[in-house]
Amino acid sequence: MVFATATINSCTKLNETVLDEYSPSGLTDKQVAEGLIAPVYAKLEDIFLHTNYLALQEISTDEGILPYRGGTDWGDNGIYISLHQHETTSTDPNVRNTWNHITVAISRALTAITGLKDNKDPSAPLFIAEARAMRAYYNMMLLDLFGLAFQKEDPNEMSKVLRGEEAVAYIQSELEAVEPVLEPAAAGPGRLTRPGVWGLLARLHLNAAVYRNRYGSFDFKKEDMDKVVEYCDKIISSGNYQLAAEYFSIFDDDNHTNKELIFAVDQRADLAGHNRMAYFTLSGDQWPLATNTNANGTDGPAITPDFYQTWAGAYAPVDPADADPRFFKQNMSIYSNPADSCVDADEYEINRGILRGQQYGVRKVGGVFVKCASGKYKVDKLVHDSRSKPDLPVNFTLQVDFSVAGSNYNTGYRISKYEFSKTTVNGRDFGEHDIVILRLADVYLMRAEAKLRRGDAASTALDDVNTIRAARTARIVAPPLASIDLDLLFRERGFELYWECVRRTDMIRFGKYEGTWTEKTNADPKKRVFPIPQTAIDGASNIPGYLTQNDGY
Amino acid sequence: MQILCILLFSSICLIGPGRALARHVAGTTAGMKRVEITGTVKDTNGQPLAGATVKSKHGPQATSTDANGNFKLNVTGANPILVVSSVGYLTKEVPLDANTSFVEIVLSPDQTELAQVSVVGYGTQRKRDITGSVKTLKSEELNKGIINSPQELLQGKVSGVNVTSATGEPGGAQSITIRGPGGIRTNSTPLFVVDGLPLDNSGTGGTGDPLAFINPADIETFDVLKDASATAIYGARGANGVVIITTKKGKAGTSMAEFGASVGFSTIARPIDVYSADEFRTKVVESGGTLDDKGADTDWMKEVTRTARTENYNLGLRGGSNKLTYYASFGAQKQQGILKKNSMDRYSGRFNATQKLLDDRLVIEANLNVTNTRNERPPITTLIGDALANNPTYAPRDANGAPATFTSMNNPLLNLELDKDITTITRVIGNITPSVTIIKGLVYKLNFGIDRSDGHRDVEALPFVQPARDGRLETFNTYNRNTLIENYLTYNTAWSKHNISALAGHSYQKIFLQGRNYSINKLPIIPIDPIYNPGVGTELTLANNRPGGYAVNSELQSYFGRVTYQYDDKYLLTVNFRADGSTKFGGNNKYGYFPSFSLGWKISEEAFMANSIFNTLKLRAGWGITGNQEIPPRQTQELFVSSTGAGFSYPLYPTGVYPSGIVYNRLANPNLQWEESRQTDIGLDYSLWNGELSGSIDVFSKTSTNILMLVNPADPIQPAVTGYTNVKDMEIVNKGLEFDIDYRKRSNFGVTFNVGGNFTYIRNEVRNSPYSIIPSGSAQGSGLTSATINGYLNGEPIGTFYLLQWTGIDDNGLSTFFDRDKDGIITDKDRMPMGTALPKVLYSFYGGASWKGFDLNVNFNGTGGNKVYDNTANSFFYKAKIAKNVNTTAAANEFPNESINNPARVSSRYLKNASYLRLNNATLGYQFNPGQLGIGKWVKGLRLAVTGQNLFVITDYDGFDPEVNIDRQIDNVYSYGVDYLSYPKARTVIFSLNVTF
Repeated sequence: MVFATATINSCTKLNETVLDEYSPSGLTDKQVAEGLIAPVYAKLEDIFLHTNYLALQEISTDEGILPYRGGTDWGDNGIYISLHQHETTSTDPNVRNTWNHITVAISRALTAITGLKDNKDPSAPLFIAEARAMRAYYNMMLLDLFGLAFQKEDPNEMSKVLRGEEAVAYIQSELEAVEPVLEPAAAGPGRLTRPGVWGLLARLHLNAAVYRNRYGSFDFKKEDMDKVVEYCDKIISSGNYQLAAEYFSIFDDDNHTNKELIFAVDQRADLAGHNRMAYFTLSGDQWPLATNTNANGTDGPAITPDFYQTWAGAYAPVDPADADPRFFKQNMSIYSNPADSCVDADEYEINRGILRGQQYGVRKVGGVFVKCASGKYKVDKLVHDSRSKPDLPVNFTLQVDFSVAGSNYNTGYRISKYEFSKTTVNGRDFGEHDIVILRLADVYLMRAEAKLRRGDAASTALDDVNTIRAARTARIVAPPLASIDLDLLFRERGFELYWECVRRTDMIRFGKYEGTWTEKTNADPKKRVFPIPQTAIDGASNIPGYLTQNDGY
Repeated sequence: MQILCILLFSSICLIGPGRALARHVAGTTAGMKRVEITGTVKDTNGQPLAGATVKSKHGPQATSTDANGNFKLNVTGANPILVVSSVGYLTKEVPLDANTSFVEIVLSPDQTELAQVSVVGYGTQRKRDITGSVKTLKSEELNKGIINSPQELLQGKVSGVNVTSATGEPGGAQSITIRGPGGIRTNSTPLFVVDGLPLDNSGTGGTGDPLAFINPADIETFDVLKDASATAIYGARGANGVVIITTKKGKAGTSMAEFGASVGFSTIARPIDVYSADEFRTKVVESGGTLDDKGADTDWMKEVTRTARTENYNLGLRGGSNKLTYYASFGAQKQQGILKKNSMDRYSGRFNATQKLLDDRLVIEANLNVTNTRNERPPITTLIGDALANNPTYAPRDANGAPATFTSMNNPLLNLELDKDITTITRVIGNITPSVTIIKGLVYKLNFGIDRSDGHRDVEALPFVQPARDGRLETFNTYNRNTLIENYLTYNTAWSKHNISALAGHSYQKIFLQGRNYSINKLPIIPIDPIYNPGVGTELTLANNRPGGYAVNSELQSYFGRVTYQYDDKYLLTVNFRADGSTKFGGNNKYGYFPSFSLGWKISEEAFMANSIFNTLKLRAGWGITGNQEIPPRQTQELFVSSTGAGFSYPLYPTGVYPSGIVYNRLANPNLQWEESRQTDIGLDYSLWNGELSGSIDVFSKTSTNILMLVNPADPIQPAVTGYTNVKDMEIVNKGLEFDIDYRKRSNFGVTFNVGGNFTYIRNEVRNSPYSIIPSGSAQGSGLTSATINGYLNGEPIGTFYLLQWTGIDDNGLSTFFDRDKDGIITDKDRMPMGTALPKVLYSFYGGASWKGFDLNVNFNGTGGNKVYDNTANSFFYKAKIAKNVNTTAAANEFPNESINNPARVSSRYLKNASYLRLNNATLGYQFNPGQLGIGKWVKGLRLAVTGQNLFVITDYDGFDPEVNIDRQIDNVYSYGVDYLSYPKARTVIFSLNVTF
């Protein structure tokens, strides 16, 4: 008996049985095809998280500054101060996260390209083209942020590291190669289409001078600018897209159907889209949803006074809110009519654009929102209740800096560009607006810039700029500009595209990145690219010379 | 031949006193007459000793006593001498007259550790014959008092073993490392083996310690196997050392019952000295803040803590006859934590039996342990954080006595009412081990065991009106099953002066872990607890309530063997070997091979030591390879995941369901294998002055290679950012010195006393790491996100603090730091190694005395050369806080010119010396004489004792306790020495009663 028991189980091949994970099998070609392309796009949402790509592209510029709020928040080991002062190091977690998300996204695109080769589904060729286009887009992001791109055609081989002209040529050839295969237009902006690739090619050519010779002065070649104009012309003349009459509708919860969007991250609440774009800069005592006592802001970043002065200077003595519909939109009537202090939940909506001065809204006291006797919500002057500072109003000041006073919870003008999601559970998660990557106004502005750079008559560029200004007719209409030059165009890009993850790229291209603004004096051109994360450098340390750190880090 | 003769001669000379030589000469000249001797061997209590060895000093004849202590032996020689030995007793030589045919021999117990038997894995060895580094601790030597988990029983008791009782929480997980961490991942925990069943170190549910199921009263001995020559028999699980726990067994011919009861009272030992209400009023204003004064005077720490009471009852039954012995026990412990609403209740039952059959050729041992633990936890970090930081001028309760609610401050008393976390674990461990003596000396043994635990955890947040809370109930179920089957043969033989024992076996162990969780949101405010009826919840969405689960199977198949050889009871050799195959390893490396070799020389048995003061002097030297296979399962296998979840899927079409995204989560890694550790140990065991002084000294060097780590591949374009790899050239080296000493003496005045201690010096070093820095220890607290505290780099130990060096406060009131790279700015590049959390020195000492019925024992332990990062102070106690009406300690206001906006960056400012000396426990007891009390007929023993635990700590550290370790791992790289809102330790007084019937 004993020996019988002894022989049970007595020999095993030690093959691991996996019980809780599985690699899917038995899928149809269509399921495989869709299953491979979807994850390529799905990574966008992670890249466009507030602390990742947005922080790198905005906090490093005059559009964004994130002090150590009140000495308690966003200290984060000084990374946001370093980012703003161009002192970021290779151990910065946001740099690392952004890099990791993008490199994984490129790998997913490669998996899709190789996995779809023998797929019989009719969509397979299109999906291969989209995966290649997305791989080129992700590489373009890497090139812009880190000064390199990775070429990898076989998952079993090492990537080739490309820099400078080689990287530009690779990305360009990939985009050009797939352009004819892509859909001429799509039902929504969530996937890369032929016009989307035109836009990316325009962006690539516009910045090619920077990418080719990163640390020098840029030589914007005429053939590049011709290409920019050519691709922008194609988009504009395609008739698929239309400038929105209401500027802020481009950033509403339901912006997926907005005709201005060419390429965007298609977020859905039930796919755990996020609301970070809307919540990042708001006050922790701002409660944008009357029905949700958990959804507030973060006491996060502000715009610098310098960036504000570009608006104020452009329209003085008129207040920018009264001059340009892109600056501000009032949704809460108490701002203009102090008696209007009780509102229904469904009418309660915070203002949009750049928020200045005393903020109004519902106050959360003892865990619940204060109501009027009528049962409506009481809209009141906001104070920093959650900071135990009922004497400190939520009054956004112009001045914001790294000093004691300048770092207080209420300093700096804030951005309320994207609509605060109605579906968010906590202010952060379950948002649904699309995050804009490329839209028609940017195309007009790129065309205007290319025209200026190749020496066209300024009037043709001016027409493009004023076309946008004239199109926003829903409320006030911005006056047309009388003249244009590269500096004014840079300013106009700030007015149109602020906090849309293009500022850093713009500042470098326009030669402004080494300039001086609030709390930033570093003029080292080596900072035009970020450091490659130390984890990646360490990981490649067994292959000397394969992945070298960028100069200056 | 001549040499052999000399050896034979001299060996005989040194065993006996000087007279032996003459007798020997007489014996050899007297010719070879055979005489039959019979006799009995008894102990000093008159109880017969079974299994005692009786041999002739001159000839090869030997036998052992039967169950009644009787023996029969043929001896030769005119004046034969019997050498009688038994484990645990002093060996005795009995000279016989020529005509003697019957003797009665009484052996007296040997008090020294060297006399003991140690459990060495698949067998036992006399401590005096062991060639590896093994420490055996009997139950009476263990730490006294209320223990939070069994590891604490060992604290300070064994050199080279670092038990950090990291939390004062009942049942809280403690950390234990033997001879320093050999890897950077989370698992440097030794292998625990209970009565021959190796445990899996996975959690059994909840957050508690996996060993919390053991009732300390059931423990007979701990055997700590420290060096590779001892642990190689456990192969791929031996690198971190092995702790073998043996539970109590019955004894033939006895019948006894032991009843123990104790009650203990615990209070917070070292509260953190935050400002009182009056101090707070002054300091807020002084620091430049606007005082928010609500007029009360509240000690928030007092509000959340209490004098905790712990009751413990044990009933043990032991006894047996010739053929059957048993031990049975029942234990009940109700332990309160010093935080309110925190308790750990344990009910345990054990039954151990040994039965002999077939004329004692078949011996069946069976062990069964059933434990039920119930652990109730409040939201600990919330309570402690609020207790430290809350404005002391706020009153905790309103006029009705209910917890007050505040707009801008959390009231922890409300959390005590609304938040709970209850874990119930039922664990059954049992094994049955029949052994058959096939022929004399050859024994076949089967060990079949199972360890099954079911854990159930409810985490409940009740709803509330103001502040508004929706309520949520989460349930986690854990099922662990660990099955073992082992077959092995042992063979013992002796001839002439040779003694060989051999072991060969096969082992198969399968570990299955499963967990599931469910939740429901939006609980109503109702008079019943939703734990009893989760259906009262009103919201259930996939986004918030998606059920989760996991299940992993891992198997370990092993072949093992051991040979020990003794020549002349002087020269010892042990060879161990194990081949371990694991499902966790890659296809190219399924089996690991772990050998060890060790030698021993009993110097004291040599002729030249004949008249020395040494009873035992044994030199040991060993070398071996062991492994560490503790990595998550599945890491060698490629994985596609198909999911419609976030991050996988994406809307491809305007409407319709989202496609299921297919993503490579992991690439196959067929090369993945165990970490390998090579260890050399040289040791000396000594005992002198008839065992009054004894101890051991060891030096060791342990080098771990093939370090397992989550790493970034060289090519960044990979499906997953990181994957597990063996980092080939990287080494983690632990070198050290261990020293144990014990002195015990019975004086002429009836006083018995003992003193002793141990000392360990360990130097840990990381070498040849290809990584510039391996970060760990992510800082906690607002404003500290993304900062790291530990960093491991070449030339420095594991647990190194890698920080900016804080150099003071500048004219602007801001912190300044040392600009290490001289680039004019302070960045991450300016961080540097600033010491380690691993103690360089561990020590402990103890003393005991008894006189008449009284006994007194004290036990100290401490560490030196280690530091702790006070993350609590970093995120709570700085000037900006007090200026904002958040309470702090005085340290926050240390610099009058410090700005109230000076960020509290992670830096050496909060790095503190963690060396300490603790009076771990002190016990005063009195043993009544039942006879004098007139109850001697019924009661054999009656003892009353009072124990003080954690009576004082001498340390510079101003947190709750310097012995702390809140794991803040990054990418499975373990962190050391970080204190963040750790559970405060208690000072305890325990009164206990023990009655033996």
